[in-house]
Amino acid sequence: MHDFQIWLVTSIRLHSPVAKMMHTAWGWPMAESLHFLGLSLLIGSIGAFDLRLLGVAKRVPLSAVHRFIPFGLLGFAINITTGLLFLLTEPDQYIYNRSFHLKLVFLMIGGLNASLFYLTSWKTVFGSVAVYKAPARARIIAGISLTAWISVIICGRMLTFFRPIPCEPHPTQIVLTCSP
Amino acid sequence: MHAFLVWLESTELNQWIVGSPSLWAFPGILAVHAIGMGFAAGLSAAIDLRVLGIAPEVPMREMRRFLPMLWTGFWLNAVSGVLLLIGYPTKALTNPLFYVKLFLVGLAMVLVRRISRQLTDDHTPAGATTPMSAARLRWLAIASLTCWAAAITAGRLLAYTYTHLTAFD
Repeated sequence: MHDFQIWLVTSIRLHSPVAKMMHTAWGWPMAESLHFLGLSLLIGSIGAFDLRLLGVAKRVPLSAVHRFIPFGLLGFAINITTGLLFLLTEPDQYIYNRSFHLKLVFLMIGGLNASLFYLTSWKTVFGSVAVYKAPARARIIAGISLTAWISVIICGRMLTFFRPIPCEPHPTQIVLTCSP
Repeated sequence: MHAFLVWLESTELNQWIVGSPSLWAFPGILAVHAIGMGFAAGLSAAIDLRVLGIAPEVPMREMRRFLPMLWTGFWLNAVSGVLLLIGYPTKALTNPLFYVKLFLVGLAMVLVRRISRQLTDDHTPAGATTPMSAARLRWLAIASLTCWAAAITAGRLLAYTYTHLTAFD
């Protein structure tokens, strides 16, 4: 992994098209503000649907609350975009950051878990009959979803406290968590 | 004011929040503040979107079911916010933008209360004495979304606009 990480940081540094914009007075602060707005949109929409699956607002059909999901996806798209702006501007601060590695793991869990929901429960939830009680598997998926997204937020907030420090001469970790 | 800031920055709680190497101290409080924001601003936005016509199959009244979680997010942030304030009182209180943020959050929560009282499907507002026209309610929802966006932006900009980090700075 070391060589790949170093290659990634070097290539981003060489080609980054956004660094200039991000280093203006408003670039980084505005991208951060948008990242927090996207976070709220994601948690509010996907979280509301997860809460519905878990039994909140029992009198509302599951599919009705699912209408908020596009706004969660909008929040996700905003955050992938602004997240990439950060990554492409200061690659070493993320590629060698163990909190970022963990954040990627939780992002993948969140994504795979959401796919699992559509694979297992699409027919039940979006059939011709309104469904009010989520099947047990969908409730488990909702619990995992809330946990995964909250963990993504925690890891994101922890990034600055795991800034990579310069490496010892021969780092032995599998994934680099220091700056070579 | 200065004496108060000096005293606050000498308290044990302040020392723990800013000085402890534990992830449960400053980093943990920041994380809680972000999670609470997600639920308070996010669920409020979901209610606003419903008022504006998204998810029309969800009865308005039923959106009230998300209020306990919204308020949980708010209280998480009230507590974590006070702790962050005890950690860096000078940094916040000497920055005019901090008061702007507080005002915006306050206004956003007033709007949450006003809108949630009008969440009804038969024009008999739950708990409110005066029903509101649908057009007026939509304006409140737009104001609410604007308030949250401004509050979040102001909050984020606090990291860039402070002039004094501590009382001796």
